[in-house]
Amino acid sequence: MTRAARRRRAVASVAVQAMALVAFLGAWEVLVRLFGGPKPIVPAPSVIAAEIVEIRGLLLSSGAYTLASAVEGYVLALVVGVALAVVFESSPALQRGLFPFFVASQAVPIIAFSAVVILWFGNGPLSKVAIAFYLSFFPVTVSVVKGLQSCDPMSVALLRTFGAGRLQLLWKLRMPVMLPFLFVALRVATTTALIGAIVGEWFGDNRGVGTLILQSLYAEDTVRLWCGIVACAIIGALFYLVVVLLERWLLWWPAPALDA
Amino acid sequence: MADKLTLRRIAKTFEVDSGRVAVLEPFDLGVADGEFVTIVGPSGCGKSTLFNIVAGLLPPDPGGSLLIDGRPAASTLGRIGYMPQRDLLFPWRTVLDNAVIGLEIQGVPRAEARRRALDVIGQFGLDGFADYYPFALSGGMKQRVALLRTFLFESEIMLLDEPFGALDALTRSILQEWLADVCAKHRRTIVFITHDVEEAIFLGDRVIVMTARPGRLKLEVAVGLERPRVPAVVTSAPFVALKAQILDAIREESLRSFAALRTEAPPG
Repeated sequence: MTRAARRRRAVASVAVQAMALVAFLGAWEVLVRLFGGPKPIVPAPSVIAAEIVEIRGLLLSSGAYTLASAVEGYVLALVVGVALAVVFESSPALQRGLFPFFVASQAVPIIAFSAVVILWFGNGPLSKVAIAFYLSFFPVTVSVVKGLQSCDPMSVALLRTFGAGRLQLLWKLRMPVMLPFLFVALRVATTTALIGAIVGEWFGDNRGVGTLILQSLYAEDTVRLWCGIVACAIIGALFYLVVVLLERWLLWWPAPALDA
Repeated sequence: MADKLTLRRIAKTFEVDSGRVAVLEPFDLGVADGEFVTIVGPSGCGKSTLFNIVAGLLPPDPGGSLLIDGRPAASTLGRIGYMPQRDLLFPWRTVLDNAVIGLEIQGVPRAEARRRALDVIGQFGLDGFADYYPFALSGGMKQRVALLRTFLFESEIMLLDEPFGALDALTRSILQEWLADVCAKHRRTIVFITHDVEEAIFLGDRVIVMTARPGRLKLEVAVGLERPRVPAVVTSAPFVALKAQILDAIREESLRSFAALRTEAPPG
């Protein structure tokens, strides 16, 4: 396809997306105005938009606070997850011995665990970082172990005949082969890290989007509640977008398609 | 003068649940410095096992040893260039960076390795393709990149395991001629596995025929044809006679392994 044809196709798909969004919001607005009554459970988009503009300062600071906890937990999950995977990959005995414990730890529902984490790490951002990390690191480990092990044995043999040791095999072969697997986990982890940060705020904090949502719920302020939801959606989408851009930048070669 | 590469009583037996399977029986071979030896044999004769042992990927059974320049080599890893049948190019590396990976592992600085690759890339028919990624190349070109990678790796001995096995007949014959030419320019000691008897004679100074499993040396013939060899040599009388002799030996072995299979098969 030529560059001009690609651009035409991109413009066309953006146009379709914009029309779909306008149609969706329009239908929502009309339905709420027709059937919503004086105090609708789902406020009209125009009302939500007005409130967002009204409390934009609060939304921005809350969003930044929550996103910071989520991103910190996420980065920690990336580092620990990959490191753990490298250890597991290099020692199958260790992997067989310890893996079940990690699986068991993941079976504990985060809600049950969060209260304890707040007790340990307090009401500040640290406890949110811990929960975001806890929710995200294991999928990264599992995915990366699989990626590291998915190397072609013949390629490993080839590098060994050149005299490559373990570290060279890791850097020159296993890491690049593992990258597509890592990014599958990293995309999913944007969501889990954000959930971790928000749920953490519900258990104890006085800042962040999670707190904003909880307080609006207690005050039965549905408009503000929806502002919180919109803020979460925007944060989540931005987070995901950054990871996808990073993936495109780092994975320039045609890799096996792992997307579901 | 000692041979460049000596295999002394190299054997391999694999342990499986139902007992032991002998894949390679004690095998002796000497390859002179600068010699091009080709090995042919029926499928499953243990050629690849032999290569894995020589490359250092598999230990031989106790009692066997490998000698380089007459001295026992504890491990040949990092000392012998090995090229498997598949190109095994890394999709995230350009042609140039794929070619220099062996040098990189040997510790040659990247800039120096690239310079050396660029010096000879033209001889490999890859001029102007240094910055291409492998997915943009044809099968024949990928195979030439893989050969370049093996050539650049600093080793005096090269093992080539059916490097042209997966290519179409035309590309294959062009690459055979080209390989003979490159080998004449860069004096290397080469052991080359193939299924193709014509290829074995066309390229080799000596052809080794292996027996059916367990693999042993069945026949060894010197190819007296003068170099450089032209494609027309394959219809010359000495070439045809050699081919007939080798094909007879292989056929005998293939029949024997086929018969063995039939007696091994459970009755009924």
